[in-house]
Amino acid sequence: MSDSQARPRIPADPVITSGSPTEVERAFLQARTRRHFIRSVGGGLGTLFLGTLASKFAPSVQAAGAETAALDFSRDPGTPLSTLPPQFTAKVRRVIYLHMAGAPSQLELFEHKPELKRLDGQDCPASFLAGKRFAFISGVPKLLGSQYPFHQAGQSGQWISDRLPHIEKQVDDICFIKSMRTDQFNHAPAQLLVQTGNPRLGYASFGSWVVYGLGTENQNLPGFIVLLSGGKTPDGGKQLWSSGFLPSVYQGVQCRSHGEPVLYLDNPQSVSRSLRRSMLDTIDEINQETYAAFGNPETVTRVAQYEMAFRMQMDATDAMDIRKESDSVHAQYGSKPGEASFANNCLVARRLAERGVRFIQLYHWGWDSHGADAKEALNLGFNDRCREVDQPTAALLADLKSRGLLEDTLVVWGGEFGRTPMRENRGGQEMKYVGRDHNPGAFTIWLAGGGVRPGISHGETDDMGYEIVKDPVEIRDLHATMLYLLGFDHHKLNYKFQGLEQKLTSVKPARLVAEILA
Amino acid sequence: MTPPQRGGVLSRFQVGFVMLGLVLIVATLVGFLPPDGNERADWLQFIGRFHPLLVHFPIALFLLVPILEIVGRSSRFVHLRLSVSFVLALATLGATSAAILGWCLGRSGGYSGRLIAQHMWGGVAQSIVCWVCWLLRTRLRELSVMYVSALALGVGLVAFTGYRGGQLSLGPNHLTEYMPNELRNLLGVEHNGETSSSNADPNTFYGARIQPIFTARCVNCHGADKRKGKLRLDNYQALMRGGKDGPVIQTGNAQNSDLFRRITLPASHDDFMPKGKQPLTTDEAKTIELWIAAGASGTLAVEAIKNAPRGSPAPAEVHVEEIDPAVVTKLRSALAPTVRQLQKQFPNILDYDSRGSADLRLNASILGSKFGDRDLEAFAPVAEHVIVADFSRTSISDHSAAAIAAMKRLRVLRLVNTRLTDATLLRLDTLIQLESLNVYGTPVTAAVLPTLAKLPKLSHVYAGQTRILAGKSVPENLVGRLVF
Repeated sequence: MSDSQARPRIPADPVITSGSPTEVERAFLQARTRRHFIRSVGGGLGTLFLGTLASKFAPSVQAAGAETAALDFSRDPGTPLSTLPPQFTAKVRRVIYLHMAGAPSQLELFEHKPELKRLDGQDCPASFLAGKRFAFISGVPKLLGSQYPFHQAGQSGQWISDRLPHIEKQVDDICFIKSMRTDQFNHAPAQLLVQTGNPRLGYASFGSWVVYGLGTENQNLPGFIVLLSGGKTPDGGKQLWSSGFLPSVYQGVQCRSHGEPVLYLDNPQSVSRSLRRSMLDTIDEINQETYAAFGNPETVTRVAQYEMAFRMQMDATDAMDIRKESDSVHAQYGSKPGEASFANNCLVARRLAERGVRFIQLYHWGWDSHGADAKEALNLGFNDRCREVDQPTAALLADLKSRGLLEDTLVVWGGEFGRTPMRENRGGQEMKYVGRDHNPGAFTIWLAGGGVRPGISHGETDDMGYEIVKDPVEIRDLHATMLYLLGFDHHKLNYKFQGLEQKLTSVKPARLVAEILA
Repeated sequence: MTPPQRGGVLSRFQVGFVMLGLVLIVATLVGFLPPDGNERADWLQFIGRFHPLLVHFPIALFLLVPILEIVGRSSRFVHLRLSVSFVLALATLGATSAAILGWCLGRSGGYSGRLIAQHMWGGVAQSIVCWVCWLLRTRLRELSVMYVSALALGVGLVAFTGYRGGQLSLGPNHLTEYMPNELRNLLGVEHNGETSSSNADPNTFYGARIQPIFTARCVNCHGADKRKGKLRLDNYQALMRGGKDGPVIQTGNAQNSDLFRRITLPASHDDFMPKGKQPLTTDEAKTIELWIAAGASGTLAVEAIKNAPRGSPAPAEVHVEEIDPAVVTKLRSALAPTVRQLQKQFPNILDYDSRGSADLRLNASILGSKFGDRDLEAFAPVAEHVIVADFSRTSISDHSAAAIAAMKRLRVLRLVNTRLTDATLLRLDTLIQLESLNVYGTPVTAAVLPTLAKLPKLSHVYAGQTRILAGKSVPENLVGRLVF
């Protein structure tokens, strides 16, 4: 208060008078009188007193404040993506996130529930419905047992259904979290929660945080690349790879898996690379003048982005070009150059991982198995989805492993929520196709790679696979654990915005899932 | 001895008798109505709770007496001796009141056992000794042998009773709990954790799985020394005997066993156990449930209950070291200028392993074929600080063998798709820290395997697309470590 009252004596706008901060400071100091001093002493003592109280009554506040100084993520504005070491020694250097948009049914893939199978077709108990909201289920639905047989696989003996015969061969490298939980039951907010730590728009995505924290080694490619399998864009839209409040250089770059990998990256017809170069040089000159006049770091960032785009013209095209892979590799992945497919993207993901891209985000689509039509029926379209991802996912794991990349890459596979053990009965009617509704209460995500305990299953759901009975893992817990693997205390990877030290795990306390760490 | 004034003598004796009367009352109470382990939430307990508050006054007052007596021997402080009698009277009153409050607490606060009995009789004795001291001191002008020995006895009682009181409220080994180990060895004090008096057979399920839970979670209040609710859980016989309301375990029926019911109640329930503590984990409760269901036998073999949760110890809490910038700066001081210069020359391929470390990671693979033998030479000054090096797809050749071999602290070395041959790999026997070696896609042959087999920490050799063939001429200690 005293400061603001002291200000009227200072020239109102520092930029107009001189623009020199030291002069402003000097004027400010000259304007201060003994009365200001005495007033601030009074207030200051009170503040000190309250400060000590706060530390007593809110230990968490104290802990957050008293810990060592925040990590410094500042960089030269000309190289906003330059590398920074992690906070502590990290097992994981890069992430490949395979998001199955639409939320695949855990009960048809990883959750073996014989009791549910036994009760198949019976009325759902009222206790399952009390106080719950569903997207489509109404009235009393019937319980629905798994549509596919389960068996134990691998040395670790984990249960898996017969829909994923290729992934099954990698099961000993996989760590299942069967007790994932979310608080969102619609796709877009649930996807946002999984990818940005917050169900609302405007927050920074996981990949953005990672590139902000660690930078990226290969300056000729974006640090955060997003690949879609064709078909539908995820409901969460491009917000899923937005940088939110982080500087925009950290946002995900969506690359296409055929044609130009990045739109408008190539030179227009009859513009040669040297012409482009001289054009960029001229623009840079103008930008540098602007920067000298106004000192806005965003100007330098812009220059850096132009330069990166120029470098990418060569490297991005090469990295995305899977025609350079041998036939045996294509046979392994099931990839066909030229089409937009999850298989092609898995192969591209491996090529990008080799080239030092920090965060590679793949989206597959069509997992929303309500049973409203054949495409999203558990007994029809769901099979196609399984076929589309099974072989390439397994090939990616195997390929990363044999190339030694899996030891410092984290692979994540999962959707945004789970599906109900009840058969969906849209409008209270039995539907033609078999499907399940959304279940935010329990779903499965699996991890593989650096720092993760392989061949285990963490957490349990009840006999119906409906609710978690052991070791629930919130999305923010998963995020905190993944950031730990990348070398960060999730509190420390933060960014001041709107008066809060914003972080991926948001404000609720997150628990590091130490049980899944190797 | 001159007879003192009449009225004064009478009143002094009256006071003395009132005090004696109180002391006798408390002695009677302790003798005939000892603490029985029941809890009574009434006035008695309310008053009793003031015992720990009051008890310190008579202690201090009584300990003051010998000080006054000794200091009073000096002629400069002789006046102090005049107050001794008064202080003793106060101490007697205080000790007696504290003893009465103590009985109230002991009687109603759910205490029973050896410790509480010793503490209570100590308190009563203390009151009597106080009273005797006061009597002797007011009757005698000179210090008699009897008075001095009574004082000494009183001081001893203060120490004994006070220590027992401390054990009751803070735990049996509260004084030595944090004693440094050196001092422990010197004084012959038992180490922490070795004090367990459990003599249950570790080959029985009870001894191996059940008793440890009780010892860790219950015995503090239900042990030999403090038996709340008259229940002891420190051995099998006592457990099966039960507490003041009878047996707490119904063999074969966990749901009807009071013990199991209480440990599985919500923590807010009045009957919940362990009261005021963290509930037992689901694994612990499950183990107890299965054991009761299987008959709650003390002799059942440890492997008899198959599906008991394997009490997996809670995973170590992940602890993140705080970074002290001053320490890090010092750690890096020797190599920082070189590192800065190299980072300028080769942006983004060389960096510290973490913000708290002076170890380096070198990732030349980003530069691909643009990175050659000459470039690698530039890193010679920091070679011993590099712990992870990736030369994949670079154009380095066997000329760099010495430069790589000089990176003696390497933990991870990646040479994917390079021209390096056996000539380089045979020279890598210096890399005794190496854990992971990646020669995928190089012309390396099986001839290097004996050299690699000598690296003690090597756990992964990525040998796909090389001339090394799976299962052929693989040295014994590399079996299972080659990845194809």
